[in-house]
Amino acid sequence: MTRQTSIKEALTMETDQDQETIVDLGAAPDGPAGGGVIETRRMSVYYGDFKAVADVSLNFASNQITALIGPSGCGKSTVLRSLNRMNDLIATARTEGEVMYHGENIYADDIDPVEVRRTIGMVFQKPNPFPKTIYENIAWGAKVNGFKGSKSDMGDLVQEALESAALWDEVKDKLQESGYSLSGGQQQRLCIARAIATKPDVILMDEPCSALDPIATLRIEELMLELKEAYSIIIVTHNMQQAARVSDKTAFFNVKLNEKGMRTGRLVEFSPTDQLFTSPTEKDTEDYITGRFG
Amino acid sequence: MSDHNTQFHDELDSLEQRLLAIIDTAEGMVGRAVESVVTGNIDLANEVIEADNAIDDENFQIHQQWTTLMARYQPMGPDLRRMAVLLHLNITFERMGDQCVNIAKITKLNAGLPSSERICDLITEMSDLVRPMIRTAIEAFVRKDLDEARLLPAMDEPVDRINANMYREAVEVSEDKGLLEWATKMILVSRALERVGDQSVDFAEQTAYLITGDRLAFDEAGLIRSLNDPAG
Repeated sequence: MTRQTSIKEALTMETDQDQETIVDLGAAPDGPAGGGVIETRRMSVYYGDFKAVADVSLNFASNQITALIGPSGCGKSTVLRSLNRMNDLIATARTEGEVMYHGENIYADDIDPVEVRRTIGMVFQKPNPFPKTIYENIAWGAKVNGFKGSKSDMGDLVQEALESAALWDEVKDKLQESGYSLSGGQQQRLCIARAIATKPDVILMDEPCSALDPIATLRIEELMLELKEAYSIIIVTHNMQQAARVSDKTAFFNVKLNEKGMRTGRLVEFSPTDQLFTSPTEKDTEDYITGRFG
Repeated sequence: MSDHNTQFHDELDSLEQRLLAIIDTAEGMVGRAVESVVTGNIDLANEVIEADNAIDDENFQIHQQWTTLMARYQPMGPDLRRMAVLLHLNITFERMGDQCVNIAKITKLNAGLPSSERICDLITEMSDLVRPMIRTAIEAFVRKDLDEARLLPAMDEPVDRINANMYREAVEVSEDKGLLEWATKMILVSRALERVGDQSVDFAEQTAYLITGDRLAFDEAGLIRSLNDPAG
């Protein structure tokens, strides 16, 4: 049986309970495109005593691509990892403020971080397929997340995920080969397919093209534009032209030194992308995008 | 935050200097073209036509350099606006050179025909009005001075007025067939100078965009409205 899991259910459901099968792909929550999906409220992240990023208030729209840009050390990846509690995996990391996902604080005590990461998926800088077959790379995550369908249902799930990631035509005849047999760009699309297969609502991407050549990069960018019809995407990128090409809104972060000489990242400007890259309102943004930084 | 110049900014400055040199040449050509047509000086007309060939060559070279800069650096923000404005101005001033050629060709067509001192005075007056417009627009651009850019529409107003009345001046001399033929061509000269005036206003609007990041249009009083604002 196929059904659509509501966001509220997704956030509260136990991972290994007797859940009904989830094979429906690509469904976004109800509501108009552009409405808020994740909102950070005065979010600060610490690693031990070190305040990596301070007071970030951002509202990420659904079915849009939001880019986070800024110089190294500005906290943009830290912010990204805070949006699905990936920072919890770092022992010294601590998050203050709130991260609201459809109105619920994902850092609340009764929220399961594993389920948060399923609903808010992540694609990393370097393609990191599992050391398994192409088929198993997709199927394994679904099984872990309680997939109880038949073998043929799983086959459908794998195909749909690979089709959504624009990889099916290239791998349909070699599903039993290792994920490592693919090129870098294909591996990254496999990782996107793997993220999609667990039926997320939001996909976080941490410099997903930095290890790829220009052709593979272009394919990922085209894929992102297709995926935003069904998912909300938040991407960290060092490539300003990439942010300008794919994103609807862009947040620029910068590093500020406090009186003790500590470098803390701060949000400088959050604007529609075409505005930020032609007429930024903040001098810091202008200096960064025109290369007058440093 | 330092404001150091990168290789890109050095090259962009150099591109802008080449373009300003073209604009300076075009401004001088307006004066010489008008002098040739009111004095019937064919040699001067030929000089103007020759000078325009040089502008066309430089226009092509600037376009090549512009394309290379764009491909190599993919500029953003105010640099992107500056690139957009430079490309626009490169085309505008190539066309201003063409208007000067149009005037110079009329010098040749009008050779041997009788002329009207009054119409010659009006054409000279137009030239004396549009050349300071170009100079003011250049200064506003170089100084990034929005207030100076806003002076242009008011400066253009008398140019438009003289141009609008030029056909009446031709009618005044229509009794004399030779003079009428000459005067009809002078309407085209007037029209060419009116275009030069408009191109100078457009130059100032480009400067306003460069400074503000907003697409602005000036009205005759120098007030500005945003073309980005649909309520305009």
